[in-house]
Amino acid sequence: MMWRKHKTWVVPLGILSLLFLYGMMGEMAWGDNSKCLSCHRDETLAKKDARGNKVSLFVSEEEFKKGVHGQISCTDCHTRILDESHAGKGVKEADRRVDCGACHEGSERLFKTSVHSIKAEIACKECHGYHYIKPLTDLRSTTYRTNLVQTCGTCHPEESKQFGDSIHGVALSRGRPNQPTCTTCHGTHAILAKSDPQSPVHERKIAMTTCPQCHAAEQITREYRFTTQPVKSYYDSFHGLSYRGGDTFSANCASCHGVHEIRSSSDPKSMIHKDNLQKTCGNCHPGASENFAKGKIHSVASIRGVEFGERAVGWVRIVYIILIVAVIGGLSFYNFTDWLRKTIERRPKD
Amino acid sequence: MSGGLKTKELGIMAKKYLRMTLNERIQHINLAINFTILVITGFALKYPEAFWASPITDVPLGMTFRGFLHRLSGVATVTLGGYHLLYLAFTERGRRIVIDMIPMWQDAKDLWETLKNNLFINRPAKVIRMGRFNFREKLEYLGMIWGTIVMTVTGFILWFKEEWLLFFPMWTFEVSRAIHFYEAILATLTIIVWHFYSVVWNPDVYPMNWAWINGHLTEHEMELEHGSELERIRKEEKGRQAHFNEGSGAGPGGGRAYPVNQEGREKFSIKGFYGMIQHLNESIKNWKGM
Repeated sequence: MMWRKHKTWVVPLGILSLLFLYGMMGEMAWGDNSKCLSCHRDETLAKKDARGNKVSLFVSEEEFKKGVHGQISCTDCHTRILDESHAGKGVKEADRRVDCGACHEGSERLFKTSVHSIKAEIACKECHGYHYIKPLTDLRSTTYRTNLVQTCGTCHPEESKQFGDSIHGVALSRGRPNQPTCTTCHGTHAILAKSDPQSPVHERKIAMTTCPQCHAAEQITREYRFTTQPVKSYYDSFHGLSYRGGDTFSANCASCHGVHEIRSSSDPKSMIHKDNLQKTCGNCHPGASENFAKGKIHSVASIRGVEFGERAVGWVRIVYIILIVAVIGGLSFYNFTDWLRKTIERRPKD
Repeated sequence: MSGGLKTKELGIMAKKYLRMTLNERIQHINLAINFTILVITGFALKYPEAFWASPITDVPLGMTFRGFLHRLSGVATVTLGGYHLLYLAFTERGRRIVIDMIPMWQDAKDLWETLKNNLFINRPAKVIRMGRFNFREKLEYLGMIWGTIVMTVTGFILWFKEEWLLFFPMWTFEVSRAIHFYEAILATLTIIVWHFYSVVWNPDVYPMNWAWINGHLTEHEMELEHGSELERIRKEEKGRQAHFNEGSGAGPGGGRAYPVNQEGREKFSIKGFYGMIQHLNESIKNWKGM
């Protein structure tokens, strides 16, 4: 062929084609979204969905660039936009399915197990947003810990409101970093139904791991000046003992303190406020009298206890331990001497 | 008895003395079963993570059933206690038990002398002749009554807390809970240490005192633990020798002598069946190995 004879062509042609390819790659790799944005930067760009509602197709370039995905190209996520849909009149709809799992495999895998994926038809964007996703640490991120109450509240308004008024929610709104938010108890991607035994809010988990993760944690309890005593005393109470043995009828933390609406005992709306305590006990103990509500519930027996009941139990314990050691020790000693004599008397005589 | 039994001794030991009537043995077995259930189901609550509690805690509704069983056995024990009180009050033998069970100064002396024997302070060891109920048995029986009262009272407080707390403050409930637990430890350990020594590990009776099954003690056992009672019975027997009538009922608190092998068994009767069990027990007890 001709060009074989004139091989000087090969090198410039090769370089040219490589440059061309590089140029193409550059356009994709560095997210030059100018082509897409040439239309989508129009704020009035909209379409009508199947129900006839107006859907804005506007994408703010500035906001997009600030997002955590600001460096990637539209087509990295919108992989299935068919050319013909955009080529002509724009009548045919683009394939809107965006597969976050292509990059976020781990989160995708966890999310697939969640109640949100199984029972509800929600996807990543419902919580994370889409074009302007911010990093988790960004105060404006929908998944920033203080914003989660609102984010979850779009679908769970009742719970969100209750939580916002609760002692946890109030402290959270002050921005303390280790205050609980929705995900502290419910988990993140793999949120399970409360009936699922693996769920952190399953009745078997609440008092074993979920509440104690903070209320039995030395650092947190010291920081907020409460004690780990309630967890400890609960485990030694009838409720806690039976619960530890697997009894699901026995009261756990939430039975008395509530779930989303947990409030301080000094709050008149609290389930454990002294005026409401009788009613709270009455949920399980019909006919609970006033005396149910009197006295310390999470008491720890000690002769130096604050409350009379604690001291009384502390003394009972001391007296009984002395009694047990004395009686059982005495009986054991007596029997041992008895056994010894009878054994010695039975020695073979030789 | 390292030297084995001499023929002469065997002759003496063949004589049996009634220790527990069938009624008393049924009461005893009833208490033993209920006590065991109460101990297991009770401590399974206090130690839910213990390995031996797993048959209860690993089963669905296990803890609920545990609570139910504990209350059921509690009620059974209290009922048995009530029955026992009626038995003590309305039978002649029962009234005799009450009289024989009263702690006397002699019991304290017996205890002291036994201790001195055991520590080889008395050399040679004194022969201690004890009554129908020796100090070991009196201590245990009275302790059991005390324990049953404590456990019943505190147990019912814990069970009927709504009613109790209508009239009493919360701390009484907490105290009841503590007492119920510690008294349970005391009772369980007492049974293991004191009762099981008396009737099992005591070298005089090992492997077991069979009275709880066959109802009688041998003459040898009587001599060791109820010497003065044996003397009394022998005197009584001598007095009755002229009118001795086999098959007469057990005298109040007294023993009844009857031959080991009862002949002329009836076709089927409780007595015949009972004789069979006695015979079986004899064979087991006298078994010398292959």
